[in-house]
Amino acid sequence: MNISKKSKPWIAGTILPLILLVVWQSIAYSGYIPVLILPSPEAVVKTFITQFTEKDLLFHIFASFRRVLSGFLIGTAGGFSFGLLIGLSRSAEKIFSPFFNIIRQVSIIGWIPLIVMWFGMTELSRIIIISVAAFYPIALNTFAGVRNVPKEYIELSSVYGYKGLSRIQKIVLPAALPSITTGVTLALGMSWAILMAAEIFIQTKFGIGTRIEAGRGSFNMALVLVGIFIVGSLGFMMTTVVEKLAKSTNKGIKK
Amino acid sequence: MKIIGHRNNLYKKGAKQSVSLPVNSRNYKMTKKLLQGFKVTDRLLGLIVPLLVLIIWQVTVSRHVFSELILVPPLTIPDTFMYLFRSGDLISHIFVSLNRVFLGFLVGASAGFVLGFGMGFSPVMSRTIKPLVKALQQVPEFAWMPLIILLFGIDELPKIIFIAIGAFYPMLFNTYQGVSSVPTSYHELAKVFDYNSHRYFLKVLIPSALPSIITGIRHSLGMAWIFVVGAELFGTDNGIGYIMIQGRQLFQIDVVMAALIVIGILGFTLNYVLQIIEQFLLRGRVSFDGGPA
Repeated sequence: MNISKKSKPWIAGTILPLILLVVWQSIAYSGYIPVLILPSPEAVVKTFITQFTEKDLLFHIFASFRRVLSGFLIGTAGGFSFGLLIGLSRSAEKIFSPFFNIIRQVSIIGWIPLIVMWFGMTELSRIIIISVAAFYPIALNTFAGVRNVPKEYIELSSVYGYKGLSRIQKIVLPAALPSITTGVTLALGMSWAILMAAEIFIQTKFGIGTRIEAGRGSFNMALVLVGIFIVGSLGFMMTTVVEKLAKSTNKGIKK
Repeated sequence: MKIIGHRNNLYKKGAKQSVSLPVNSRNYKMTKKLLQGFKVTDRLLGLIVPLLVLIIWQVTVSRHVFSELILVPPLTIPDTFMYLFRSGDLISHIFVSLNRVFLGFLVGASAGFVLGFGMGFSPVMSRTIKPLVKALQQVPEFAWMPLIILLFGIDELPKIIFIAIGAFYPMLFNTYQGVSSVPTSYHELAKVFDYNSHRYFLKVLIPSALPSIITGIRHSLGMAWIFVVGAELFGTDNGIGYIMIQGRQLFQIDVVMAALIVIGILGFTLNYVLQIIEQFLLRGRVSFDGGPA
């Protein structure tokens, strides 16, 4: 098999998955490994379809989306304001950034038990943990973007008489935009990743993570695999859309 | 070591060419600043918020705004900490967790290194494996946990595997980036000097990829530390996560908070030590940082 540079990239990329699929199928057929551990590919596809037609998987997906969006929006709003504040004012940076850096040392998962003790096994707890996950990347990237606005821009803005809000609006934010959009993309990825932890650790009735956990609870490996597939592809779609959006917003802005 | 030493100047350019995300160089600088300290007055400014938080915390407690179950006086935290420390439990739990971190890191990072190296070295391998790895990377690590538990139960092995998954990606992508982006000028220079492949490997490829690889190690270990807490929350009878689970079940919020502080301090120390090692190994090169933390 010749994987030359001329061949389309997806051809080379599909070889390995296809091999794995064939190996999977033949192992499943041979019956050496119990179905509990390795269901056949058709069984997974069947589960995929029945989950949508009979088990309201769309509803679970919708619940997860709502959860992740609420957390993401709250975290983004908070992180953006915080990043802007410590980016614009050096004294604010000196006051807030040491505390922020201390808090940031604790890995997000570590907060889950504390948040559950405070807010219970509720939707609020899940949204809080997701928004914390979104907060950090946005705050850091907004801060970096605002702080790295070239000095000349600021000087120029003084020449043009931009002050206060109009300076932020016309000069600082546009110049910081690429960095901010990087933060938004990272934050969305983080929110989606932490959503799984939130749904698995803080049990709920609806959500994709819940379905995966349900699959584990009922020893339904096919359901677990379907859930993993759906989480992966939805995450991929979301980040792709946001990256495209980020690219189009950053078009025409040169650093 | 020797290789790194006398190639310093030659590879400065290579380090510069590597991609760096704004967040990480900044974050790195911020951490560095935090460590080296601002001026004294600046340091005092940094104390304002923690002090305010402590005061508000103390006032809410003494006014009984919340029940004792939800908020304990701030001063009980050091007591709890000392109690956990003296009883000897804390140290042994920390060691259990660290042990898991290193095992998981070892497994995940070695796999990531080998694959990343192969992908960086051979375009054929990169074309066949990269799409699959990219696709798998889309799945949040926590989504794998139920699958891992179904396959391996809830003993030690699934935890190690889970941590290894977290440690795998940063190592893979950083190694891949380092190996695949050896500047063509080095390659040409090696040709001029008529290096054989063995020599090229040792004198050009490894030194040139080293900054990325070390960054990969640091991020990978950082991820391992994040995921050990997650792995332990799934159920364990030892480790830092166990202290938290137990604290939560017995509604001892001070224990949970003390454990949180321990997690923060250890994570910070781990990162700090690795940054120092990184700086030492890459001394003389242009500092850089790549890959999401």
